Amino acid sequence: MRGFGQVTEQLRRSTVQVSSGGRRAFGSGVVWSPDGLILTNAHVARHGAALVELWDGRSFPARVMARDPRRDLAALRIAAADLEPAAPGDSAAVRPGELVIAVGSPLGFAGALSTGVVHSVGAIPGMGSQSWIRADVRLAPGNSGGPLADAHGRVIGINTAILNGLGIAAPVNEAAAFLARGPRPSLGVTLSPVSLGLAILEVDPGSAAEAASLRPGDVLLISLEALGKALDSGREALRLPFLRGDGARVRETMVRLEARAVAA
Amino acid sequence: MANELAAISVELASVTARAGQAVTAVHARPRFSSSGVLWRPGVIVTAEHTIRREEDITVTLPGGNTVPATLAGSDAGTDIAVLRVEAEGPPLAMAGEPAPGDLALAIGRSQDSGVNATLGIVSAVSGAWRTWRGGRLDRYIRLDLTLYPGSSGGLVVNVAGEALGMATSALSRIAGLAIPAATIDRVLDEILATGRVARGYLGVGLQPVDLPGHRKGLIVLSVGEDGPAARAGVLIGDILISLDGAGVSDTEDIQHVLDAHAIGRSVEAVVIRGGESRKLPVTIGERPRRD
Repeated sequence: MRGFGQVTEQLRRSTVQVSSGGRRAFGSGVVWSPDGLILTNAHVARHGAALVELWDGRSFPARVMARDPRRDLAALRIAAADLEPAAPGDSAAVRPGELVIAVGSPLGFAGALSTGVVHSVGAIPGMGSQSWIRADVRLAPGNSGGPLADAHGRVIGINTAILNGLGIAAPVNEAAAFLARGPRPSLGVTLSPVSLGLAILEVDPGSAAEAASLRPGDVLLISLEALGKALDSGREALRLPFLRGDGARVRETMVRLEARAVAA
Repeated sequence: MANELAAISVELASVTARAGQAVTAVHARPRFSSSGVLWRPGVIVTAEHTIRREEDITVTLPGGNTVPATLAGSDAGTDIAVLRVEAEGPPLAMAGEPAPGDLALAIGRSQDSGVNATLGIVSAVSGAWRTWRGGRLDRYIRLDLTLYPGSSGGLVVNVAGEALGMATSALSRIAGLAIPAATIDRVLDEILATGRVARGYLGVGLQPVDLPGHRKGLIVLSVGEDGPAARAGVLIGDILISLDGAGVSDTEDIQHVLDAHAIGRSVEAVVIRGGESRKLPVTIGERPRRD
């Protein structure tokens, strides 16, 4: 049987301190693979480069491989070997009330531990359609990017924010999807909900929407929620029905979405 | 890799899921919903301070559907509001006497993310306690756990899933409290019968004062217009030394007398006025509603 002390010690060894941007702004990160892949928050790794300090005090320059600001996730790579990676859990199986352990560098104290329970799991108004883990656990700035783990020490989330005192963590399954498929693809449009669906206000140059010949003024016949799900599904192309001009007939376009794996 | 911690974790999650079947979200204020407990079939209790409107109240049931509810009545003194709804939860198992150090979970619900839980301990338990809002709790059960916006009105359970009471953050500045089941049942019965909780009232503002001979009394600082005391002839400056045959030295003593007697009963007040004591019969009135 593994005691609490062993569970937390293991977790500490898989947690790193991340600094980026020169000023003494610290975040945390999770060692994902023995050969130097580190997972953290996009808001912790704001720039192309960062500095990663391991639990044993060694520090390495890190390259930011990918960022997904919408899910607030970033992947870093350091030139190190034989790291102790965290064991990922299954965030889809997380239940309110279960015990959680957070490790990170709150206010710069490396390796600090806090414990609590899962408060709830679900969408948060104003934070997109995806699901987040809310935890009744004391976090502070500096915990960002660090692991939220279950009673086995398996990582179930990446601590991301503090909202009304609750810790907010990105579910680890989202993080795994981010590493496997890259940042969540986007259409590259500005949308406004209308009664029929979503009206396109702007199309970014070079975007997937532009390549699919979508124009401002077109109305996509899909709800925001359904579109978000489709973009999250990992499919490489989306068939989107839309209306143009007088809306006399329903047109259709194929949008090709870029897929880029990070964790290769 | 099974360990004791994991076993505890599974148990806590199971208790949360089970207890959550009796917990609803309550939508009766802007921004944050609160929580409520399906206390009896068709009856939800929630925290009075989270009810900011009397109409258009809805509740999200454990099954996820949101249905209308009507406000049956409320009691600010004990922070209990009662809603009627066409739903029922599982029968609630009631906990025995809580003890400081017992683990406790506060179970709430929100529409977006379903059931929610926070964990802590019972930090203090004592006998009957009067709230700053004037109500009486049959037990003072202080919680060392975090109540977030939306937690108030939720169900506080022990690790066996037995109900300790309803969570509220409004009755103490320093900690969340569990309003005990006995208080909820008492207030609930009165609200369902009459729509409100009547409180005895004298209509005086009082301040403790020391009297010669190490005695104490309560000096009358204000007299409510046309209140029971005014009608009995009580004047500002009178010093109340006895009510219903018992000496009074603290406003709590007055509350005891008001709790013990039905509204409309006459009790004898003894006051000192101009160095002489006088007996004045006072008929206990009902405290005017704040709204």
